[in-house]
Amino acid sequence: MKAQFQHNLTSAFFMWFDNFLLTKGEAYTNTTGEFFYYDDTLIDSRYTAFGSPYKQWVTDSSIAGATVPTGVFINGNLSGRADGVVLDFDNGRALISGASTTDTVTGSFAVKDFNVYFTNDTEDDLITENKYVVNSRVPSGPYTYITPYDDVAPAIFLAASNLENKPFAFGGMVDTVVNMKAVILSDDPYKLDGALSIFGDSVNEGVEPIPMTGYPYTELGDLKDDSYNYTNVKNGYSEEVPFYIKSVRTSKLSDRARKALANELYIGFIDFEVEQHRYRFS
Amino acid sequence: MARLPLDVQQAIKRQAPRLLKKDFKREVEKRFKKIKNQMISDFLQDQITMEIMGGPNSPNISGTLDGVTNLFAFIGFDEGDQPITPILTLLEETNIQFSKLNTASNRQTGMEFKVNLPTPEQVFAVTPLPWASGRSWAQGIERGLSGLGYLLRKKKGRSGAAIQSRVKVRGGRFKNRPYISAFLRKYKIKFEDLK
Repeated sequence: MKAQFQHNLTSAFFMWFDNFLLTKGEAYTNTTGEFFYYDDTLIDSRYTAFGSPYKQWVTDSSIAGATVPTGVFINGNLSGRADGVVLDFDNGRALISGASTTDTVTGSFAVKDFNVYFTNDTEDDLITENKYVVNSRVPSGPYTYITPYDDVAPAIFLAASNLENKPFAFGGMVDTVVNMKAVILSDDPYKLDGALSIFGDSVNEGVEPIPMTGYPYTELGDLKDDSYNYTNVKNGYSEEVPFYIKSVRTSKLSDRARKALANELYIGFIDFEVEQHRYRFS
Repeated sequence: MARLPLDVQQAIKRQAPRLLKKDFKREVEKRFKKIKNQMISDFLQDQITMEIMGGPNSPNISGTLDGVTNLFAFIGFDEGDQPITPILTLLEETNIQFSKLNTASNRQTGMEFKVNLPTPEQVFAVTPLPWASGRSWAQGIERGLSGLGYLLRKKKGRSGAAIQSRVKVRGGRFKNRPYISAFLRKYKIKFEDLK
């Protein structure tokens, strides 16, 4: 099936959300450190996995001050993509072709304060199933790699819910309103309040309609064109009708309800109404 | 047809509003009260309203949960909570305001009035979810509700009927349906017909 409105909205919203949080909140920490070898049977056998203690790393070069890695140091020598290094930003690791498991790998990167995921899980599952490992951004030893693939907290989970089309103008133009939801799982109430405040203020923002083809990641978590700059990508779509953040409502799980949870996470919700005037099937 | 002399026309325009005012007002007020009473009665007979007013032991008469538990428990209210009361208060506050006769400027006989009916946003503002006060359960009825309140309640074991159920209720099981927005839209039209 070719990409439809909902697909394009989802990817555009995801990219905007990540950039907005990193830009407005400077919600990242630059880090330098050792990577740790581990066996990962799910990847191609030519690669050796070396994981950092943190995931997800910042990929967006438009974030001022954030270190976006282009390679890692293998036994003290910088190796980049041309040398067979794949940077898996999502899992916070380097996949190195032809490396020895005893190599010393180090690197610098910016880790996000909140991982951002798109999900189909319900709020109930996200909050009560208690399946998230907390990948604290506060340095504490002993350091080791963070297990790949599983979602970790602190994190923000995005999901699209209702879509409603209403007649808007002659010729078949409709006013499309989509409800987008975000569930925030934070290890710290300060960060939770910060994220809620940033997105509470996002009302009236425009979101450039970057289609799915503009999504910057490969299946290995690296960048399609070796770099990604949200500002440059969105400028390529500045002539298109943007999505519009029509309303935003933020809230927090009450303290009384939070005490019923088995974890120590602080939980918040953001409910967006995203609007676009468009023709159906466009 | 013969036209009335200009001075007679002007005299009618000048005097009719004053003479007819009482009758108009009385009639409009009577019809307003009738619609308002009908509105409150309709609201109280809505299946969602009745189910929530029924408290933790109410059957799922709205059918929004396939008969598993009920809205009061699913949303996560405490026994004794009266979540419908704030909506009812807003509906009770619906009133009609008559403004000054304005015949000189628009050259019409009649009177102006305005009906102050609550907006959906006003209702959503007074219907917070018990576990996240920034969200409205009434809006959730229309757009979808997660079963979080129910699950938290089960874990905490605070409730009456909610903890009795052994059936796992998930957000996906809730079927949303029109509620406050459609209801107020319907009565907005009825009040506009007073004209």
